[in-house]
Amino acid sequence: MKAPCWHCGEPLLATVVHARVGGELRAVCCHGCRAAAEWIEQLGLADYYSLRTEPATKPDLATAADRNSCLAWQRDELARHVVRDLGEGRRETMLFVEGIRCTACVWLIERALQSLPGVASVQVNALARRARITWIDNRVSLSQILERLARTGYRAWPLHARALDDLRRREARDALKRLVVAGFGAMQAMMFAAVLYLRGADAADTSAEALFRWLGFIVATPVVLYSAGPFFKAAARSLAARRLSMDVPVAAAIALIYVASFVEALRGGGHVYFDSVSMFVFFLLAGRYLEMRARHHAGDLVDALARLTPSFADRRREDHSLERIGIHELRVGDCVHVGEGGLVPADGALLSAACRVDEALVSGESAPVVRRHGEALIAGSVLVDGPIDLQVERVGADTVLAGIAALVERAQVERPQLARAGEQATGRFVVRVLSLTVLTAAVWSVVDPSRAFAAALAVLVVSCPCAFALAVPAAITRALTVLARCGVLVVKPDAIAALAQTSDVVFDKTGTLTMPRLTNVQAFNEASPEGALRLAAALARESRHPLARAIAAACYEAVLPAAAQVRSEAGLGLSGMVEGRELKLGSSRFAAPGQHLAGHADAVVLADQAGVIAAFHVSEQLRPGMRDVIDALKAQGLQLHILSGDAPAKVADIARKLDISSWRARASPADKLSELGAMRAQGARVLVVGDGVNDAPVLAGAHVGVALACGAEIARASSDIVLAGERLGALVTARRVARETIAVIQQNQRWALLYNVVAMPLAALGFVPPWLAALGMSFSSLCVIGNALRIGRGPAGVEAQARQPLHATADAA
Amino acid sequence: MNAILITIPLALLLLALAVGAFFWAVDHDQFDDLQTPGLLPLDEAEQDADREDPPP
Repeated sequence: MKAPCWHCGEPLLATVVHARVGGELRAVCCHGCRAAAEWIEQLGLADYYSLRTEPATKPDLATAADRNSCLAWQRDELARHVVRDLGEGRRETMLFVEGIRCTACVWLIERALQSLPGVASVQVNALARRARITWIDNRVSLSQILERLARTGYRAWPLHARALDDLRRREARDALKRLVVAGFGAMQAMMFAAVLYLRGADAADTSAEALFRWLGFIVATPVVLYSAGPFFKAAARSLAARRLSMDVPVAAAIALIYVASFVEALRGGGHVYFDSVSMFVFFLLAGRYLEMRARHHAGDLVDALARLTPSFADRRREDHSLERIGIHELRVGDCVHVGEGGLVPADGALLSAACRVDEALVSGESAPVVRRHGEALIAGSVLVDGPIDLQVERVGADTVLAGIAALVERAQVERPQLARAGEQATGRFVVRVLSLTVLTAAVWSVVDPSRAFAAALAVLVVSCPCAFALAVPAAITRALTVLARCGVLVVKPDAIAALAQTSDVVFDKTGTLTMPRLTNVQAFNEASPEGALRLAAALARESRHPLARAIAAACYEAVLPAAAQVRSEAGLGLSGMVEGRELKLGSSRFAAPGQHLAGHADAVVLADQAGVIAAFHVSEQLRPGMRDVIDALKAQGLQLHILSGDAPAKVADIARKLDISSWRARASPADKLSELGAMRAQGARVLVVGDGVNDAPVLAGAHVGVALACGAEIARASSDIVLAGERLGALVTARRVARETIAVIQQNQRWALLYNVVAMPLAALGFVPPWLAALGMSFSSLCVIGNALRIGRGPAGVEAQARQPLHATADAA
Repeated sequence: MNAILITIPLALLLLALAVGAFFWAVDHDQFDDLQTPGLLPLDEAEQDADREDPPP
């Protein structure tokens, strides 16, 4: 195999295109890559190629050329939603940038945009794939910025202006400040407390002791009042809602230790625990901070995808010219133009003669359906061949798609609450500690009232549930990191507990279990199947039709001939020039009119002027390795089900191949939801795997919803876990890691319990000096963190599996 | 003992300054993205021509 494309790393075509980069000729695969590479060179940014660690995304020529979609942002009605006015002509926006592969991309984007006159600042976050850009309005426009990004090879979408406020960013900054204040406070408080501990035995210099007690009070006060603020707020909220959350006992413990120490300091008594309370708050915040970081990382990616607005529609004016408008500007009765591969923007009736649309997102039907003049099209379906015109009948909230979105919301409200089990256990434990403290105080006040207060405080400090507070977040954070490494993005950390308790798995069929694949090539007239496939793939890769994509994906030649003058005939096929031959690829009546090809009625036919070259049979095939995944899931003791919107015969076939006895076909989103309700009523813990819009309600209503990263945006938005790279095998790993995590959490909690059971009676009897209590507390916390780090280091080697190449699974037909 | 009366307030003052400086840094985007800026020093030739319009 030859060297891959210099820019994007994809295989080269036979007709190699050259780009001049850094004074040398570099072979690239297409003119899109050449344009991007030379553009980068012209900007003086060729260093990008030495900095990068991943190949660039292949620039989409069609996208780059489609200036309209960039220019559309000049309309004020659209820009209003995504741009914020900073005053003095300065504007700010947040872009979601597709195709950021490594940090060199960040470098490139910042340089490319900053060389645009009028751009004031560019901040790119590679992890979140976002760019915050400010510019001077009359010198440069948003569309110019987007256009430059597109030329450099990145597609970018402006996010809603709300993204600029970025709740997450504020939350992260707040948490970091509180954590650092608590850390500084804890260090200082411990230093002052050490003086008290060490001097304890000496002849007391009471005035100096009093000084150090009050110093402890000074440094602990901001820790309790500022850093621990969220605990008090959350506790007040949950008390107001008449629930007992984890925050209630934690807040009670902090308040009690702090107030008690304050009272003791006032009385001039010896037992102040300002160091313990600061350390307690610090450990708690550290656990929460780790958890928040992991959650944000996973959420940033998924959220940004879900929040992308399906922004435009092309409306036909009176004079038949097109204008690009925002989707919310569409009115009933408008006439809309949709190009091939485009999304239907609203429900409406077809004005053109005929077309085929992929309604899989809405109905779950795998094959594109033919719609004729006057028939209804559904918003959100993809036009397979076009272009078409459409008369809008329903917009916005009235569309079928919006109905599904409403169903999603309802399912989310009805979602079962089962997670937070770990925190509940902690809460119960802390309640017990508090009652034991009260008991100790009560018993001592009978035996020796002068020691009651000191003993009760000692119990509280020794059992200070730092290890408990860290048990859950430390394990969850580690699990999130391990899972992210094998391509499992956990959006809601609760999902880990739910995943471990899963009893049933429900699969969607189309797009989840199966995908269209080339199964058989029949060559005619002494043509070789390989040669025919090569020609067909050269043509097919120019189209977005699912059948064409299946053919293109089946060809593993490194070098494909280039296709010229490719045209797409609505509902029929493709034609174009490849290696000097005029080829047609499509249905037999398009490619080989008048010829009867027995047994190839449904096949895709490749023909030239001389006659038929080959017939390609494409059928819906199981995803490679699916059987192993199913077997592995069964081995974990899970009940498997298939719920599909597709025809019974197809579903039955797949169910038989996978040996899944429980299946149901022709299920609408509402059917799926009621089926799910029935399972839940029988006590099942249900995990749902899906990818389409029609799966979104079940994903939202399941105990755990798992969406494929390639799936519909709404499906990703309503799920708890997103699988990157379409590898369902990661699900098996994910469940194992989840169970491991739950086991580690339980070990941690038992360890913390054991430590407390041993230490507490000693403390209650007055045998534990405060410095030993503080040491023991830190030691038990470290044990908990060390134990959490074991997750994912099991014998099976999760990390090794994570490195599976993405395409290794697809074997040639 | 007298030394303590000077050093401790000094320590508290420094602590307050450190916390203040940290808060300033957090509020000025210094901790929002800890990965990306690590790459910027790798750029050897800091170009002054950044602001010039490139040829079309």
